[in-house]
Amino acid sequence: MDGTWERLKVLFPVISSSLAESEVTKENIDSIYLELVSLGVLEEVSQLICIEIDKTLQTQVVPEFWKIFDTNLDAQSDNQARERCEFQLFRTTVLQLYKKFQIINRMLERLKYLYEKSGTKFIYNFDEIFKSVLLSQLPNNFTKLVYSFYHISFNVFINTKAEEDDDDDDMDQLRERDDCDGCEMPTARCQCQELVTAFGEINLCLTRMGLLDRISGYTLTNLIQDEIYGHIQKTCRGIFDTQHLKNLEKWLDTIVLEWLTRIFNNGSAKLDPSNLKIRESISYFQKKLKYLLYEKYAKTIIDQFFNIIIEFPDSQPAIDDLKLCMEKLDLRAHLVEVLKNSLETRLLHQGVETSDIITGYVATIKTMRHLEKSGILLQTVTEPVKEYLRKCRQDTVRCVVTSLIEETPSDLSEELARSEAIKAEENERNQDEMNNWQDWTPDPVDALDSDKNSAQNRRSDIISMIVDIYGSKELFVNEYRNLLADRLLTQLDFNPEKEIRNLELLKLRFGENLLHSCEVMLKDISDSKRINSHILECSTFTSEETPNDPAVSALIVSSQFWPMFKKESMELPEEINKLFERYKKSYEEYKGNRTLCWTPLNGKVNIEIEINDKKLDMTVNPAQATIIMHFQNQKEWQLDQLSTVINMPPSTLRRRIGFWQLQGLIREAKENTFILCDENHDQAGEIETETNVVLDEEETMVSANDQREEELQVFWSYILGMLTNLDSMSLERIHQMLKMFASQGPGFEFSQEELKSFLQRKVREHKLVYSYGVYQLNKN
Amino acid sequence: MSNQSIQSENKPNNDEPVGNKGSAVAKRLQKELMALMMSSEKSVSAFPEDSNFFRWKATIVGPKETPYENQKYRLSIEFPNNYPYTAPTCKFTTPCFHPNIDISTGMLCLDILKEKWSALYDVRTILLSIQSLLSEPNNDSPLNSNAASLWDKKAEYKKYLDQFYEKNKDT
Repeated sequence: MDGTWERLKVLFPVISSSLAESEVTKENIDSIYLELVSLGVLEEVSQLICIEIDKTLQTQVVPEFWKIFDTNLDAQSDNQARERCEFQLFRTTVLQLYKKFQIINRMLERLKYLYEKSGTKFIYNFDEIFKSVLLSQLPNNFTKLVYSFYHISFNVFINTKAEEDDDDDDMDQLRERDDCDGCEMPTARCQCQELVTAFGEINLCLTRMGLLDRISGYTLTNLIQDEIYGHIQKTCRGIFDTQHLKNLEKWLDTIVLEWLTRIFNNGSAKLDPSNLKIRESISYFQKKLKYLLYEKYAKTIIDQFFNIIIEFPDSQPAIDDLKLCMEKLDLRAHLVEVLKNSLETRLLHQGVETSDIITGYVATIKTMRHLEKSGILLQTVTEPVKEYLRKCRQDTVRCVVTSLIEETPSDLSEELARSEAIKAEENERNQDEMNNWQDWTPDPVDALDSDKNSAQNRRSDIISMIVDIYGSKELFVNEYRNLLADRLLTQLDFNPEKEIRNLELLKLRFGENLLHSCEVMLKDISDSKRINSHILECSTFTSEETPNDPAVSALIVSSQFWPMFKKESMELPEEINKLFERYKKSYEEYKGNRTLCWTPLNGKVNIEIEINDKKLDMTVNPAQATIIMHFQNQKEWQLDQLSTVINMPPSTLRRRIGFWQLQGLIREAKENTFILCDENHDQAGEIETETNVVLDEEETMVSANDQREEELQVFWSYILGMLTNLDSMSLERIHQMLKMFASQGPGFEFSQEELKSFLQRKVREHKLVYSYGVYQLNKN
Repeated sequence: MSNQSIQSENKPNNDEPVGNKGSAVAKRLQKELMALMMSSEKSVSAFPEDSNFFRWKATIVGPKETPYENQKYRLSIEFPNNYPYTAPTCKFTTPCFHPNIDISTGMLCLDILKEKWSALYDVRTILLSIQSLLSEPNNDSPLNSNAASLWDKKAEYKKYLDQFYEKNKDT
């Protein structure tokens, strides 16, 4: 009896809770079979063996296996050293587990043999039990070792691949490195080959135990995801001028997939065509990875989208890539969010100049156009930019107009020059659309369908998009008119051909009507040259000429068509007034029925000052000239006194006298008393140096903003009028009434929104009361 | 003329003033409105009612140092199609106790709106005339004899007027 038990122990060491194996022959099994049958305990003993196997698995094999995973190596400072340790740990524990697995399997084979000999069927499913016991004790952090294991082997693999692909001369360079790229060990002690062998061995063990997918699958996906991300960062980040997608796909299909195939296919890269199961899981992986690749790549591009915008059109290939990705993935919401954010943080703050914001806006338009023809993303993304320009940048219109007509080529002036081409293109496209109606693509679903005519808007060109910031052509045309007036009045030697060309181009954009007055202005300038020379030769003018008269040359403009001049006026010196009167008379004679109104503050004066034996030639503005002329006859002036004579407010006068003080010609002897410095003063030295042309910058035109403020004032008196007489009115009614009664010509441009904010301002100022949807005057 | 009146009746909300003549009138009225809006005179004011340029509402504040001081009266003005060759019809819509104003209909008696009308007058001058009529009534041809007889007794007149105004003023 004892002998039988001892012999049984040799065959099945598990019954004494051991897995130590010894040599066994077929005869041993046969004899034990006979012994057990004669004792009549075959069945009981078999069951006992199964129970013992279960027990050993649960209490010994599996806990021992998982125990290794608890090893904490974080204390290791060197990351690579830690990974290498983990690699080895994983390898050892898997090998041990496999060894035990094999021992148990062999015992089970003997058991099976015993069963079959007795004629009963063996129904113990060890594989399932093994798996379930193993996985039931799965620790939380088991992925760490697995990750290290695959990470190291992936690096080794990539490196060997890279070496295969490299040309021979590159090889030499590689050799010169101290460390092997694969295993990060000194080249002399490179372990790549051992690592590859170990890797194949472990994968094979895991496959045999049926554990590969359970233990490695999840980690593998994570790892490859990280590798893909790293690879994209390494090869594509910041490089927008080439398309990367093809190379990335190739990299995934060859290198990553080959590595995977090796894992699943027992270390061989050649797939057996008949092995459907492996093929299936590989192609499943492939699909999943491709999706990951697209997603990671697209997100990398999107994260750098602002830079792409700045580099456009050089960054076009990157956008082409993104386009391809977006066909496969829905990234619109993500793109909008990221781009809006980066525009806000990088463009829309105090530190950026308005012109730069506009440049950025234009670049965004161009880039987004390239990405998406329909312009819906563009509309969503640029909304905050438009709003910011509208609300926080008063000088937007001026900046845009300036860059439109700038001498040096800019985005916008080029765009303007393309106007004609665009018009033609548009016609063509419209025709195309009708002919190829099958190719029509509807707007994406996230299009805002609130305004229907925006579709037209979205497809329109950049200048229209810029004008769209304010939604009003009039504002732009007005600003243009002001700038043009400024230029015409300050640069007397302007280039008419260029201005006319600009004007013609603008006409194409904004229509003839709006630019009519600008045309008149240009004509005025050329006409006025002719009229001026005629008058100067005219007998009425020359007959009364005295030799001391200064030369005069007038610019005659039609007040109807020019922007408003500043209303300020002043009294000119007597002799100048006389000269002007004479000029006026000749003009009236020449033109009949028309007269001239001088705007004494505009223009420039060439003066020659003889003082202290010095001669100064200067170009100054009329106000400055008038002031110094008064000092010619009277050397000392009180501020108030001079102010009355010139008819100029004292504060303004003081500022203008300041110019002469800087020149060292006038000084303030006492408070509000100014004296001409004509004696050889100690300041005389300064005078010599200041003999250059000085033209104080003073704006002659009322700016569009001031003009708007004035218009609003007009509207306000109408609003007061209607509320006085009609008591209370709703916003809509006020707007309608203004439109009907306060509109002067084509210039009326007052949206309901603008009116609303204007009225609300008045409510805040306690001028109006708003209640129950109607506005009333504040009676208190 | 007949054509114009048909148009204006059939299309009450027509933004375009009727006919050629009508648009000339509208232009003139638009100018007058602008002048009125831009003037610094704040004691008289007027504005078109609704979209019809030919019917205006006006507001007159009683002149200082008269019994009408601090009182506010509303009027309606209707312009004829041949304005300014014919005077507009003016009526008080706030009942007004005054020798030359009908207390129930609001009709008033003012020479420049009748036989002394001239095309040189405009809304502003009409309103200023009416305003000065308040302080200087023409007691020879009263529409309200009660008021005319009371006019000379200043204190009594003022007392009665204030009571009347408080009862009838616009809210």
